[in-house]
Amino acid sequence: MFSPNFSKYNRHANASLALLAPLFVLSAPAYAEQYLSVAQAQQVLFTGASFEAHFLTLNEQQREQIKAISNVRQRWAEQQIWKAFEQDKFVGWFIIDKVIGKHEFITYATALNADGQVQGIEIMDYRESYGSEVRLAPWRAQFHGKQKVQNVKFNDTISNISGATLSCRNVTNGVKRLLAIHQLFLVTAV
Amino acid sequence: MLNHNYLPRKITCTSLTLALLMGLSPLANAGESLLGVTKGAEPLPKGAKELYQKFNCRADKGSGDYHALDFATEFEYGISHRFAASIALLGHHVKTSGLIIDGYIPEENQRTALSGIELGVQYAFLTPALDDIGLATSFNLEYDTVDKHSGQNKDTLSATLGLQLQKYFLDGQLVWLANAGLETTHATRQPIASLDPTVEWPTFAEMEIGLALASGLSYRYTTNWSVGFEGLYEEEYETEVGQERWSLFAGPSIHYGGKTFWSTLSYLTQVNGGGERYDGQPSNKHLIEKTHSELRLMLGYNF
Repeated sequence: MFSPNFSKYNRHANASLALLAPLFVLSAPAYAEQYLSVAQAQQVLFTGASFEAHFLTLNEQQREQIKAISNVRQRWAEQQIWKAFEQDKFVGWFIIDKVIGKHEFITYATALNADGQVQGIEIMDYRESYGSEVRLAPWRAQFHGKQKVQNVKFNDTISNISGATLSCRNVTNGVKRLLAIHQLFLVTAV
Repeated sequence: MLNHNYLPRKITCTSLTLALLMGLSPLANAGESLLGVTKGAEPLPKGAKELYQKFNCRADKGSGDYHALDFATEFEYGISHRFAASIALLGHHVKTSGLIIDGYIPEENQRTALSGIELGVQYAFLTPALDDIGLATSFNLEYDTVDKHSGQNKDTLSATLGLQLQKYFLDGQLVWLANAGLETTHATRQPIASLDPTVEWPTFAEMEIGLALASGLSYRYTTNWSVGFEGLYEEEYETEVGQERWSLFAGPSIHYGGKTFWSTLSYLTQVNGGGERYDGQPSNKHLIEKTHSELRLMLGYNF
């Protein structure tokens, strides 16, 4: 099952690699292109802020609620969320999320301000052959100010980048899902 | 232009079918392959360059000892986000003994040759991530000088028109692929000086039409790794006998895809087949042009 438990992935992958190692002797090793750590992403999106973990554990019913609003499946039972504070004043939410890329997950961070509007998005790692254009600031800037799920529409309010279509689509869907999570579980948690 | 009325029926039957299958598949085109034979409709991005090495090991015709390996080294370039072009060098290794088939395998042989070239283009009308379903067409032109069945000299020119469908499910974790291919071939065998005069080996020009349909599913079960299952139906027609052969292959595949490298290993077995059979053939499958099994390995590198 595709799940965020990467230690389990690694065990599976290692077993598969051992079995098929002779096939891949010619391979160039795939490597993680990590651009930002969690701490770095937090400082980029909320400069100078302090953070308080507010991880959500979602049951099946809650995941269904998220899907009903966003029309995107919530894969994870746990969503990594932090509250951001500037001098003890709540200023917004910092959320780490993963979406499917062509080969691996794309990890990105989303900042929502205190009103639940998208304040910024940062791609934290990207390991795909093509499509790294999603890291470009103009594309990410399209999300700024979005608050309602229905205002985030791929290839409409959020444009596509040719050659990076799957990444664009899945990051867009990911943000829709995060806005649904905010609407359902974070508005009342301030 | 070939007039089939001049051709004795048996010679036509046996000879025309030899001309098919000069590529690794009538469905052949480039791109990252999640499955062994069923290709995707996702175009290579503009400016992308990929190098592929493909192998197809064919074995077991039911009698004698038959092993063949088709290999291709291919380069593909993304001209635009929807249009890509490729060029490939083709080669064959054929080792056969204990089996003589009129018109197909005229004598025992062991030969390895780099023998052909293939040019291909693919255009995507719809892309699967943007339009919900991907739809692409491909055109391949191939010239080869060696017959992949017997390893004998044979000039073959074939043109293949293909259609590819691709649909993402579960955000791209599950992918459905389907292909259709139509191939026309013109081929001429070269004479064999030392050939046993009782064995047929016609050397006049021939033409034929082949149809191929393939479909499969690929599921990414963990990061970078996918497993799949596909089926391939092929049939071939020529003027005098109509449908000359058909076969249905099916089998599993495993795919690894990374940032710069991908690989796919697939095994296909002939589930059923029909049409022409050679004298003394031990089963009802089609084993003149086909074998009981095919093992394919594809390696891809982008740079």
